[in-house]
Amino acid sequence: MTTEKTISLEINGRFFQAREGMTILDVAKREGIPIPTLCYHEALESVGNCRLCMVEITHPDWKGWKGLVTSCLYPVEEGLQVTTDNKTIWNTRRTILDLLLARCPDSDVIQKLAAEYGVTVTSYRKNDVETKCILCGLCVRVCAAKGANAISSAGRGIEKMIARPFDQPPPDCIGCASCAHICPTGAIEYEDTPEVRKIWGHSFKMVKCESCGRPIMPEKQLEFEAEKSGLDPAYFKTCSVCSQRKSIDTIRSAFDMKAVGLGEPVEVAR
Amino acid sequence: MRIKSAKSLESVTKKVRGEREKIETEVLVCAGTGCLANGSLGVTEALDRAIHANGLDVKLSLGLKTTGCHGFCEQGPLVVIQPKGIFYRGVKPKDVDDIVEKTLKNGEIVERLLYRDPNTKKRVEQYVEIPFYSKQQRIALRNIGKIDPSNIDDYFAVGGYAGLAKALTKMTPEEVIDAVTKSGLRGRGGGGFPTGRKWKTCASAPADTRYVLCNADEGDPGAFMDRSICEGDPHAVIEGMVIGAWAVGAHEGYIYVREEYPLAVKHLQRAIEQARERGLLGDDILGSGFSYDIHIARGGGAFVCGESSALMKSVAGEIGEPRAKYVHSVIRGLHDKPTVLNNVETWADVSWIIAEGAEKYAALGTEKSTGTKVFSLVGKVKNTGLVEVPMGITLREIIFGIGGGIIGNRPFKAVQTGGPSGGCLPESKLDLTVDFDSLTEAGSMMGSGGMIVMDDHTCMVDTARYFLKFLVDESCGKCVPCREGVHQLHQMLEAICRGDGRPGDIEKIESLSDVIVEASLCALGKSAPNPVLSTLRYFRAEYETHINEKKCAAGVCRNLFTFRISEEKCTGCGLCLKACPVDCITGEKKQVHTIDEEKCTRCGACRNVCNFDAVEVI
Amino acid sequence: MQKTLTITPSRCTSCRTCELACSFKHAGKGGLGIARIRTFMFGEGKNQILTCFQCDEAACVKVCPVEALSRNESTGAIEVNEARCIGCGLCSIACPFGHMNHDGTNGIAVKCDLCGGDEPACAAFCPSRALEYR
Repeated sequence: MTTEKTISLEINGRFFQAREGMTILDVAKREGIPIPTLCYHEALESVGNCRLCMVEITHPDWKGWKGLVTSCLYPVEEGLQVTTDNKTIWNTRRTILDLLLARCPDSDVIQKLAAEYGVTVTSYRKNDVETKCILCGLCVRVCAAKGANAISSAGRGIEKMIARPFDQPPPDCIGCASCAHICPTGAIEYEDTPEVRKIWGHSFKMVKCESCGRPIMPEKQLEFEAEKSGLDPAYFKTCSVCSQRKSIDTIRSAFDMKAVGLGEPVEVAR
Repeated sequence: MRIKSAKSLESVTKKVRGEREKIETEVLVCAGTGCLANGSLGVTEALDRAIHANGLDVKLSLGLKTTGCHGFCEQGPLVVIQPKGIFYRGVKPKDVDDIVEKTLKNGEIVERLLYRDPNTKKRVEQYVEIPFYSKQQRIALRNIGKIDPSNIDDYFAVGGYAGLAKALTKMTPEEVIDAVTKSGLRGRGGGGFPTGRKWKTCASAPADTRYVLCNADEGDPGAFMDRSICEGDPHAVIEGMVIGAWAVGAHEGYIYVREEYPLAVKHLQRAIEQARERGLLGDDILGSGFSYDIHIARGGGAFVCGESSALMKSVAGEIGEPRAKYVHSVIRGLHDKPTVLNNVETWADVSWIIAEGAEKYAALGTEKSTGTKVFSLVGKVKNTGLVEVPMGITLREIIFGIGGGIIGNRPFKAVQTGGPSGGCLPESKLDLTVDFDSLTEAGSMMGSGGMIVMDDHTCMVDTARYFLKFLVDESCGKCVPCREGVHQLHQMLEAICRGDGRPGDIEKIESLSDVIVEASLCALGKSAPNPVLSTLRYFRAEYETHINEKKCAAGVCRNLFTFRISEEKCTGCGLCLKACPVDCITGEKKQVHTIDEEKCTRCGACRNVCNFDAVEVI
Repeated sequence: MQKTLTITPSRCTSCRTCELACSFKHAGKGGLGIARIRTFMFGEGKNQILTCFQCDEAACVKVCPVEALSRNESTGAIEVNEARCIGCGLCSIACPFGHMNHDGTNGIAVKCDLCGGDEPACAAFCPSRALEYR
């Protein structure tokens, strides 16, 4: 079985066991200890962009040294003492949200989060450019996880943005809109009509459900998904409602079947 | 031809030295970037023509070569004639005939080309007598200005690659690491991390592949020591890297050079090829069985790529953004493999340390900061250029001893050390010893060795604003505190300099700075508030006057002062009148002049030309 | 021996207790639309229950870009790691039987997990033993 080392650490004065390689945030999430995050997603590589998840750490061997670290990245250590909320941490998170509110004054997500830290109006100079993007980079990471790698960050510093290569419709975009779905602030927009999906300057032709005609996904995505998963493209041509209806129809027509054993191979005609 | 053993390296060195000894007179022309920009290429060509036309090359066993940067860039183009050590400055092609006729043929000095000490006003004949050089102690810069960087034989002649031969044949990797540890060498790139400890961690990290890299992405404004070393003595860097690779067990490495250093790239590239040809890089180095090769990776001009983790990402072809280094790059660096990254100067020191001995290096400098450090001394100082001094020397000795003091003998106001995210130290800190720890303690840092001297015409709020602007432009934008926070800091300073500062701004700047320092992801962000924090620490009153009285006493922030010509001091010479670009100065000859404050744009041209300090800031 | 959720259609009365039990168990509230199991009436005495087959070669697992779907080796069920799910909806399209659903509020995939090894609520509450876990 598992040969990984078990590590014990202290969070807010309570002792916990963790596997080696887990981060502080992993343990806190498992134990239901709240730590706010904006750029974290369990399925994606952590990057530490938003700095909201900062916690204070110290260790009996560190001669009193303590400091803030991003819990989404800091690996657990034997004997580590973690504080997930105190005045310094609160103030850091408050300042970060204040800064983000200056960047995105119109984002309801940031407004709500900032209000939790007592910031309703930013104390800093508001951004001249209207944006809801906080540059958490989740969109770029999810696009990479999908395997498309269509978008990226471009530029530096305050002018950095999530961008398309050379500001043209990205050739690698498959139109899956995962970027838009994962964006915590709703900064990425797309438009669906029965015929096309418009995103990142593309106009993707939609595949329609073979039974009901409802749009399912862009053609380009279908090709991409079929190739990537090795499944027959037919898998992606029926919407889930129609798939279920087909199952029902199949069962109805073969109603004299005895029982359906779950967990065992089941022969059901598509 | 490949050199197949340490022994044959010795005989190559001997042979090259023998050839060099036959040269009776050698003319060295500086071909560093500064001198090239000043036209040293034309000087070299003219010298070459004149020497050949006179048949001197045969008669006098004369050698002519171009070298790397001598360091005294503001005096360029420089020509040094050995073995006498005659030092000519500001040489133009038209001066060449005099040099050939008088100095080379007849052994006379061309008086007008000599350096004149700005303090004693005396002409100085020899290189070694110039205070700028005589007070230096050169290790990293040891060969620069003496050798032709494009010729590996020149490097052999000064004992080059002997350190490598010693490491490969007489020392185990552990012994090399021990020697570097004993030397007390700390990374010259800014962090000051003990080099030996870094290597040891890397060597003991379990891995099948390790990398040894060189950081030549020198990005601090006004700093050019690494460029000079790459341009002037590339083999010293390569030798150091091979020694490092032997010590930690690496077989591949990169030199990450910024694209803006084309000459450094060219010289490094050529040096790498030469070293490969001679069997000092690549497979089976010096017949030892050890293999290591170096590639050049060129940076695209992002300051942040000088940060180790961003550099490694950039080398790997990813976006040059730092990552959190909770696992250090010596454990998980380039391609997630244990990686040693040291900067150019550190590598040049390493080859010296192994060749000359760790004890000799450790004997220099202070207990915790051993050896020497190269500084690029710039700003309002008489002698600008590259200086290498033992650690522990005072700021005063560098600025007033080597640097010759402030231009125009104006009052010293501050010195900014450590690059854009370093800090400004006031006059009261002039006797501070220069080493890693005392600079940090004083609120500045060593950084890679930039040293910008400022006089009383410098506004410290404006200075902080300037450096913050640089950092705003160079922040990679990955994490919120640095991207948004430094931007906001800069906005606040802009407002203060504009005259829109409000009470409470200082406190707000301080509290935001605290968060940026505490919460930023990389060292760039964590140190970004340094320019403002250090100026607040030593020049807080200046901020207060800007905010509360809307005054800039230094006469820099244009909305916050006016110029007036002092009735007592003005001699009516008319210089200011001529210099004014908007014609707002009036006055008869030998009468007191006046400035029309309505028309004046406060550019400061009048103040700069006035010889009597009559243009006053009100 | 791994237990199996067995359906005996002839015993099903289409009372929909299984759907309610499932909703309560997973969503903490009663709502037939959010159940991971469905019953269908095709006519007198012709009732059927539909839920995930936990396929061996599951299309949902194959298409998930972030490995949010994986098999629980002790129960045999394919489970959704809700924290990993990015809500792209690909699994529900790929499932040829229409057994994948999505949470209407956040798009997270929803499917039968056989109640993680406890007796599945549907079977536990089925009054006519049309659903059994054995």
